[in-house]
Amino acid sequence: MNINRRDFIKANAVAAAASVAGISVPVQASNLITASELTKIKWDKAACRFCGTGCGINVGVMDGKVVATHGDIKSPVNKGLNCVKGYFLSKIMYGKDRLTTPMLRMKNGHYDKEGDFTPISWEQAFDIMEQKAKETLRNVGPTGLGMFGSGQWTIHEGYAAAKLMKAGFRSNNIDPNARHCMASAVVGFMRTFGIDEPMGCYDDIEATDAMVLWGSNMAEMHPILWTRITDRRLSAKHVKVAVLSTFQHRSFDLADNGMIFEPQTDLAILNFIANYIIENDKVNKDFVNKHTRFAMGNTDIGYGLRPDHPLEKRAKNAAKAGGSSSIDFDEYAKFVSTYTLDYVSQLSHVPKQNLIDLAELYADPNRKVCSFWTMGFNQHTRGVWANNLVYNIHLLTGKISTPGNSPFSLTGQPSACGTAREVGTFSHRLPADMVVDNAKHREISENKWKLPKDTIPPEPGYHAVLQNRMLKDGKLNFYWVQCNNNMQAAANINQEGYPGYRNPKNFIVVSDPYPTVTAQAADLILPTAMWVEKEGAYGNAERRTQAWYQMVEAPEGAKSDLWQLVEFSKRFKVEEVWDKEILDKNPEYKGKTLFEVLYANGQVNKYSLDEIPEDRLNHESRDFGFYLQKGLFEEYASFGRGKAHDLAPYERYHQERGLRWPVVDGKETLWRFKEGYDPYVTPGTDFEFYGHPDGKAVIFALPYEPPAEVPDRTYDLWLSTGRVLEHWHSGSMTRRVEELHKSMPNALVYLHPEDAKDRNLRRGDAVKIISRRGEVETRVETRGRNKPPKGLVYMPWFDASRLVNKVTLDATDPLSKETDFKKCAVRIEKV
Amino acid sequence: MKKMLLKAWYTMRRPSVHYSLGFLVLGGFVAGIIFWGGFNTALEATNTEAFCISCHEMQDNVYQEVQPTIHFTNRSGVRATCPDCHVPHEWTNKIARKMKASKEVWGKIFGTINTREKFLANRKRLAEHEWARLKANDSLECRNCHNFDYMDFTAQSDRAAAMHSTSLASGEKTCIDCHKGIAHQLPNMDSVEGW
Amino acid sequence: MKYLLTTCFALLLCSPMAMQSVSANDEKTNIATLRNHTPIEGQQPTKSIPKVINNDKVQMRNYPMQPPLIPHTIRGYEVNLNSNKCMACHSRQRTAESLAPMVSVTHYMDREGNFLAELSPRRYFCNQCHVNQTESKPLVENSFVDMHKLMKQKSQQQ
Repeated sequence: MNINRRDFIKANAVAAAASVAGISVPVQASNLITASELTKIKWDKAACRFCGTGCGINVGVMDGKVVATHGDIKSPVNKGLNCVKGYFLSKIMYGKDRLTTPMLRMKNGHYDKEGDFTPISWEQAFDIMEQKAKETLRNVGPTGLGMFGSGQWTIHEGYAAAKLMKAGFRSNNIDPNARHCMASAVVGFMRTFGIDEPMGCYDDIEATDAMVLWGSNMAEMHPILWTRITDRRLSAKHVKVAVLSTFQHRSFDLADNGMIFEPQTDLAILNFIANYIIENDKVNKDFVNKHTRFAMGNTDIGYGLRPDHPLEKRAKNAAKAGGSSSIDFDEYAKFVSTYTLDYVSQLSHVPKQNLIDLAELYADPNRKVCSFWTMGFNQHTRGVWANNLVYNIHLLTGKISTPGNSPFSLTGQPSACGTAREVGTFSHRLPADMVVDNAKHREISENKWKLPKDTIPPEPGYHAVLQNRMLKDGKLNFYWVQCNNNMQAAANINQEGYPGYRNPKNFIVVSDPYPTVTAQAADLILPTAMWVEKEGAYGNAERRTQAWYQMVEAPEGAKSDLWQLVEFSKRFKVEEVWDKEILDKNPEYKGKTLFEVLYANGQVNKYSLDEIPEDRLNHESRDFGFYLQKGLFEEYASFGRGKAHDLAPYERYHQERGLRWPVVDGKETLWRFKEGYDPYVTPGTDFEFYGHPDGKAVIFALPYEPPAEVPDRTYDLWLSTGRVLEHWHSGSMTRRVEELHKSMPNALVYLHPEDAKDRNLRRGDAVKIISRRGEVETRVETRGRNKPPKGLVYMPWFDASRLVNKVTLDATDPLSKETDFKKCAVRIEKV
Repeated sequence: MKKMLLKAWYTMRRPSVHYSLGFLVLGGFVAGIIFWGGFNTALEATNTEAFCISCHEMQDNVYQEVQPTIHFTNRSGVRATCPDCHVPHEWTNKIARKMKASKEVWGKIFGTINTREKFLANRKRLAEHEWARLKANDSLECRNCHNFDYMDFTAQSDRAAAMHSTSLASGEKTCIDCHKGIAHQLPNMDSVEGW
Repeated sequence: MKYLLTTCFALLLCSPMAMQSVSANDEKTNIATLRNHTPIEGQQPTKSIPKVINNDKVQMRNYPMQPPLIPHTIRGYEVNLNSNKCMACHSRQRTAESLAPMVSVTHYMDREGNFLAELSPRRYFCNQCHVNQTESKPLVENSFVDMHKLMKQKSQQQ
């Protein structure tokens, strides 16, 4: 940049001198520059940095800078469209406060928990990290180490991190922020189908006759999928859209049947639909008999709070929340028969006719139907149940796994599927749906990784919410946060998150491109390269894996998460991290560094730099001396090939606009579990839910149970939190783009005009939202895009200056451990 | 029946034997005032927002919709109530509108729009009535507040000023031609002129 | 016990240690750039809701593919199953009368790139790409460079 400016001045000086001397320098023929060597932009493809839709992006680069972005016309996902965030991707890397040097809290030249952030070198940063990690290993052991990652990590980063933690440091305390996002969907899939991720794909939208949104505001959170839904609804008049939510939002603009229900009663509505299908004799008996079985799930399972919480002590099955017993169809029918129209309408406050119309979309055998859900279902203390219950109604009617019939769990993040789930960065998981508490799965993984037996610890590690609790309790002492902003994102900042990070026993490292709220709470901040400043790959909600090349250099000093992980691994000898017992049995590993056993293991370093096109940047590979991304990807892909998670050879992803796995014989799979579409289905079975050994999906009998906290006299309102169209999650990228910031500058609290009037409030008034855990100040909005019913307020969490998670409750689904950000009790007071 | 009518006719025709002419004239005058006043008071009582939204059809539908709009809440707090826009201010027109409104009472009694679905099904018809009325009276109720003669075009946005100084000024267009759906949600606008 | 610990911890944090205040200062200048330079425990008084810019002035785009910003208020504009208020001015048929810019030709193309006789339904909800601007200041500067500027520089260097 400096050079450019100097050249610019020089050129100007030449021009000035020339004009004085009366000589003409070559100029353009007109006021337009038309010479192709000047106007040419170098275009390349990438996946969008934001949501789980996974739009294809064309990125335009000029002089090492991203100068333009637009929707990729060739991408089957978005066919040239972007949402407003996507259209401004060009600017997300250029916030003036990009971090370019590691910063450590220091006092008198030394690290001090209460010191000031002081710029240090990468060498010094790794020194202190090494020292703190080794200290923790000595004093506490591997369980004292933890990492919090992301569904925004690239596949390579997630894989490298999981390997470093689970096999290198031998700690399963690694979890992604997808825990706040997708965990309930994951457990829902595993329980019903025995295998993760949707059976259908986005092509279902163009093939369906009805779409039902269950607690998903797709108009704002999945805008490009919403364009496909809008396209379908408006171009084919028979298509119907039903929208359910606890408050009215933009997706209701397309709704033929919009329903506002009392929080938590979605469970009852789902059971009502099952009951309606059975009572009206609309069960697809042939399908149900051949391809499903029934189970009664354990009830009274608690709320995932700390074990000493009264609600947990009272819950009968808190310890065995996942248990279930086999039942038959008649028992199931009897179970749902209590969910009558009268009862459910009264409980949910949804008018009877709306409920019947909704049930009819599923029951009508001549109508194909898709269900979509996101955080309304997943961030729910009974989120797994909600997922199970929606599969029930698709399974009862056989409306599944065929074009247009699709229960579809949308993902929040760009690689929640590709990285967090498929790679296995959860505290209980390994690649390709395997889990750490299964000895066979551990053995498979150790063999693939060429590591000694028993390297991977068998106990699941601390999940996201437990990590914050363990930080606070001083049991997790070395903690590395990458690619997310969990101080802002996690519930109950005051009582759990913040005291945990600032606990003097703990050393907190935060890697981020920008100074986030989480960075502010850290002890060491590492400046990070982002998006197209590195080579990467993401996997979207429809199982589509997409890759991109590095297109521009990161700011001097910033390094990608991948580089950080791999470089840091060089600091550890196996003797320092593994048990003596393991090394005695496997002496050939002695003296090696984690870098050598994890990454330079003959597999990850198998591909030479020659395989990278010469004109391509690739900072990490050129630094480590081998094609790191390809090596990681191929080693990772070996887990899933032949196991119904097949990925194509890495190069192919650089050519294609993504491919939906399993990719078998070079062909992607659009509908899983259905003969003719899915090569893994045994011929002659028609459908086969092969995730379970018997090939059957499970229909679960699960009841309505009340939420963890309900409004009372003191805290008289429901609070729901969520996202907005214009900002991505915590806003750390989008709030640095002027146009996006100015379109949605601050998080407001949306409330019903009469609720406002009753509290003597009016639009724009400064108010405090107060819960049992804390308070946040904001302003009143009574006529915005969200229209809550009386008794409920909504506030988005993107605003770093107004931390609504000081107020929220860290109650989780006991099965998925995912926090319910949609329901807690608050009151509102005028400031 | 015929007998009774005849008897009444005779009573009316016969001069009074008990009351003086003065009493009758004055009494009649006073009674007239009372009745007239009572009538008007009653009329005015039906001409308030509180009366309008005492029907749940109005409370649950149109009243909910008007609340976020600029005609309900705005900078200066000058707001339009239901009758400001939906009932003419001038007496004869008001009576005519009120007579028409008796049909709405009919609708209320027979539950024409007593559910949300029915209201939505009828929205286009109801809106068209109001558009037609305002078109026919040159947007009279709009103009009760928005007087063209006193509009300051320089205080309007450029595009608004351009429209108001041409189409509106020439009488080619009236307010409702462009400003549909400003206080309540719109019906299906398929084949509505200008959309 | 938990409460006691929390309280002790809170007290510890609030104790007016010299370094603490320096640290807070440091956070102010470098780190809390999106938080009005405020420590995590605290919060600055909130600013009032800014006004929507309503000047009808076209704002230059950062690159040709950027969707134009909306330079007027859209309060009460309905875009739903019943009507699309935006297209009452911005559709091809309406622009002569409304004097509003016509939506770009891309808006008449379906997913496969075929031109339709009317706005493509995939573009129906205008606010997914086009947004208002409010009278608020950027939180941090953005050093994005306009391609035209880069091009001009090179052209002058030649």
